This record gives sequence, structure tokens and C-alpha cells, in this order.
Amino acid sequence: MALIDETGRQRIWRGLMRFWSNQRSALGVNKTNLRAAIDATDQWIEDNQTSFNNALPTNARNNLTAAQKTILFCAVALARVGLVELKVLFGEVD
Amino acid sequence: MATRYTFTPYNAEFPSSNFPALTLVNRRPALAFDAATDETCYFTAVAPQGLTGTLTAVITYVMASATTGNVILQAAVEAITDGDSTDLDAATSFDTANSSSATAVPGTAGQIDQISITLTNADSLAAADYFRLSINRDADNGSDTASGDLYVLTVEFRDAG
Repeated sequence: MALIDETGRQRIWRGLMRFWSNQRSALGVNKTNLRAAIDATDQWIEDNQTSFNNALPTNARNNLTAAQKTILFCAVALARVGLVELKVLFGEVD
Repeated sequence: MATRYTFTPYNAEFPSSNFPALTLVNRRPALAFDAATDETCYFTAVAPQGLTGTLTAVITYVMASATTGNVILQAAVEAITDGDSTDLDAATSFDTANSSSATAVPGTAGQIDQISITLTNADSLAAADYFRLSINRDADNGSDTASGDLYVLTVEFRDAG
């Protein structure tokens, strides 16, 4: 998967600000710094996707698509934040 | 300095696009101004008798989430005098917008701050004029740096009386 383009990064930027606004979640970074963090995260994913892929068990590495591996990564990462955040991705989670 | 009007979120009127969402903050009505897109709303009134001197809009707001950075708000006046030729069906005639300075947000989200904007450009507003006060966040200004929504709670309209 390629780096996200400018439009996509702006979508994430606007979406994160709206999400955290709705959550009333204290946010100690300004708009410029938040955008820089998005850029850095995208670049980190780009630079480390091979490492992530190699960390997967052989069966999953060989049989999941790139998109499925990305969702897998997001699901585990969101679950580390909390159940509410995981529901953002999946809707209902039992 | 005299308070002539106090507008609340439920008094707000909205353009057809790019307007703040009407929401509740802990059951308090608020207008949510986006951090990425300039959004505008209007308040309508008739200018009171005795209106005099410099006009000011004082905007009370809280931030939804930001604890750092600056915001810029703008206020513009559209004054229509009896007999004016402005076709309200088809036109708006707001004077040039008046901007606040870039103002630091409170260090705790949810704590109020008040931004005072001197209405230097007031479209020659005079007593008995039908007028609208336009409020917007200048979100695309590089000096508006605070992330997340800005919630306007009230707008006070003052004159020098």
C-alpha cells in the first residue's frame, strides 16, 4: 500500500479533530502539530510494513490480503485503547 | 458600554452551507465551529433606539478538546435602513469582516473565554435598522492554530452608551 495522498491525510486530520471534539477529549497539540503527526504515522507505516508482515505467523502472512492485514493491525491497536474505540471500527463488539 | 443584545445559539440563522452545527455541551446550547473549514452563522435584530458610538461583539466560547493554540473569530454587520434598495430576496450586503486577534485558548477544554471584536466596519448601522450580525471562525487562517471544535455559547452586542 502506498503513502496516503494530501486529500486523504486532510480527511484524517479533519476526522480526528471532529472525533476528539465529540469525545471532549483534551487535545494538547495544535492543528499543525496534529497534521505533522499524521504525516509521520503514515511514513512510519510505509517504512515498517515489511517488518509487520514478517512478524505475522506464516499462514496469516501468506493468506491475508494487504487490506486485511491493515484492518487486523488497526483492530489490535484500537483494542489496546479500549472497547469504545474498537466499536468505532466494527460497530458492535461482543 | 451598554449591552444591547445577547444572542444565544438558538437565535442563530444559517447559510445553506458551511455553518456551525447546533449542539449541546453538558446540556448547554452551543454552535460548533469546525477547525478546518470556515463556518458562519447569523443573528438578526433591529438596531435599538439610542444606539451610539463604537460597537462591539463579545463572543463567549469554550473549546471542545484543544488545550493549546490560538483561535480567530470574525464578525460582520449587514445594516438595512428603511428605504434602502437592497433586494433581500437576492442579495446580502455585509460590510467588511472585523477580525479578532489570534487569541490563546484556555489551558483546559471546557473553560470559557471571551473574545471582544470591535466592529470598526459596521455598515453604518443606525437605530431602527434591520441588521444581521455574522459570526465565523477564521479556521483557514494560518494563525488559527487550535485543534478541534470551538463552541460558541453566547454573543453579546454592545455599544458605547
